[in-house]
Amino acid sequence: MDFNMFQNLLTGFVAAGTVQNVGFAMIGCMVGTLIGVLPGIGPIPTLAMLLPITFGLDPLSSLIMMAGIYYGAQYGGSTTSILVNMPGESSSVVTCIDGYQMARRGRAGSALAVAALGSFFAGCVGTIFIAGFGPPLASFAQKFNSPDYFSLMVLGLVTAVILAQGSVLKAITVIIIGLFFGLVGTDVNSGATRYTFGISSLWDGIDFLPMVIGMFGLVEIIRNLESDSLDREPISTNMRDLWPTKAEFKEAIPSALRGTALGSLLGILPGGGAVLASFAAYTVEKKVVRNPSFAFGKGAIQGVAGPEAANNAAAQTSFIPLLTLGLPSNPIMAIMMGAMMIQGIQPGSAVMTSNPDLFWGLVASMWIGNAMLVIINLPLVGMWVKLLQVPYRLLYPAIIMFCCIGVYSSNSEPSQLLVMVVFAAFGYILIRFGCEPAPMILGFILGPLMEENLRRSMVLSRGDPMIFLQRPISATLLGLTACVVLLIVLPSFRKTREEAFKE
Amino acid sequence: MNRVKSPQDMGAGLLFIFIGSVGIWFGKDLTYGSARAMGPGYFPIWLSSIIIVMGLICLVRAAVLQGDPIDRIPLRPILCVFAGVLAFGYLIETIRLELALILLTAISTQARSDTNQKQMLILAVAMALASVFVLVVVLGQAMPTYTSDYMSGFLSKIWSLFGLARGK
Repeated sequence: MDFNMFQNLLTGFVAAGTVQNVGFAMIGCMVGTLIGVLPGIGPIPTLAMLLPITFGLDPLSSLIMMAGIYYGAQYGGSTTSILVNMPGESSSVVTCIDGYQMARRGRAGSALAVAALGSFFAGCVGTIFIAGFGPPLASFAQKFNSPDYFSLMVLGLVTAVILAQGSVLKAITVIIIGLFFGLVGTDVNSGATRYTFGISSLWDGIDFLPMVIGMFGLVEIIRNLESDSLDREPISTNMRDLWPTKAEFKEAIPSALRGTALGSLLGILPGGGAVLASFAAYTVEKKVVRNPSFAFGKGAIQGVAGPEAANNAAAQTSFIPLLTLGLPSNPIMAIMMGAMMIQGIQPGSAVMTSNPDLFWGLVASMWIGNAMLVIINLPLVGMWVKLLQVPYRLLYPAIIMFCCIGVYSSNSEPSQLLVMVVFAAFGYILIRFGCEPAPMILGFILGPLMEENLRRSMVLSRGDPMIFLQRPISATLLGLTACVVLLIVLPSFRKTREEAFKE
Repeated sequence: MNRVKSPQDMGAGLLFIFIGSVGIWFGKDLTYGSARAMGPGYFPIWLSSIIIVMGLICLVRAAVLQGDPIDRIPLRPILCVFAGVLAFGYLIETIRLELALILLTAISTQARSDTNQKQMLILAVAMALASVFVLVVVLGQAMPTYTSDYMSGFLSKIWSLFGLARGK
């Protein structure tokens, strides 16, 4: 088994290690960081906006580039958290707490370095995790039948709710609306067109790209435009301060190890991912560390090392459910899944056997991407800081232009831009009504799959819904779902969840 | 009106009910089938019904639980961004990429009242030229531009110098 794992990884490194693919990984990390450090733009809008530039590539290169963009965007979010106290996304909210305080007492460089090195270490472990857990999970998934897949998706969608901000009721409804939107277009089974309103460009369904760019890219811009003060003065960093001191290392290493372990485990769970991991890691650090040289909230290095390692480890391992079960565990993975489907790959247990180069190449590229991040980011911190000083009034027209060109060039149809605007409006309204739009993407991607698996299950059981409880795998998954629902409804858990989001 | 304790919940509830109703209204002509042989209408009708029920629960909550007010919706940024994007999309084939990009920036920068018009115009022209250069000259993307018309012969000569066939 172990021998196989390394042989597989070797296959992956051969596939991903070509000059071309390493180049794409590097470009991905660069542009991901570039967009990710822009104030207020997290990984979801970044991935959405950069999706079109990966279209022309072959499947492996495009996935490698997407993965690079994701890591870059995430790391960019940490950079802004530390330097300007502005989290680009929810998974680096906790990094703000102590990271910005470290920056204020002149240890910004050290905080950035700890974040980068912690993330790199976590990334390495995460990669080995995927290589180790991927194959057994995928062969287990071969036993899955339609009812099991259906129950798995129910579990995935329900657990995704825990992480959505705001009311559970609204989050569930937004996911169901996503499922519904996913059904628009021609029904594969009967050939009937559904909810197309006679518009021919809807026959193939609502286009993924203009939808995500509208809902995340444009909405983000509009929301930033609303606030009065757009520009923030970043804290100046000095390259000489970049290396952490020995004492800092001593404090950071155990935290990074704990964060990595926690993140790797939480990333695998459906519904888990970077956000959950970083919050959990911060809580653990606060409990475990007895006497930090700086209190938590006052610039404790453990408060940077733990969550940063955890969110990166989880970012890696959250690929496991996607690649082995075909289940995206969070909205970011849903976008990855969308990108794979655009490339003609149906993610799931079959990818590993039918397309081993792609699977192992992607796994290897994760390691390459992480190494690249450290190499690119630490020396270039000065440049990213400069970029933060570009006034937003010059930045946002460029971002809008980028979105428009991306959508138009993917398919030269004016109606695509209309779809983008319609979904931007929809996303904006959702936010104003206190609903988070991100979970909708999960539903949208899973809608057709859920319908298909439900249909097949019902054919198998001749219309008897008890089939979901009769099959052991499906029954277990539904049992887990019931536990999650109980957890969400339970008042004590509800309280901690609300507190976690307030912090 | 003062019965509504949570305007956000009410808005969400109404929105959900609207979406669910659209789903049922336009799904009623689709074959529903049965559980044993699901028609194209089966799953969407179920989903729409659940969405409506959720919407109703939201409405009840809006009347019972205290909640957040709906923040003021500033129309200016929304309208300017949307108008710019749509103008770009529907005019690009007539006025070509160069002018469409300038127009896009000119409209979308009106989103803020403190826009410096002169600076905006310079920015618009500079960004339009830069992106046309990257898209058409470097990447060889097939897009409606003036540049590719005037330069196509010239560009293909340059590319052929490098032994490359690019663009269309």
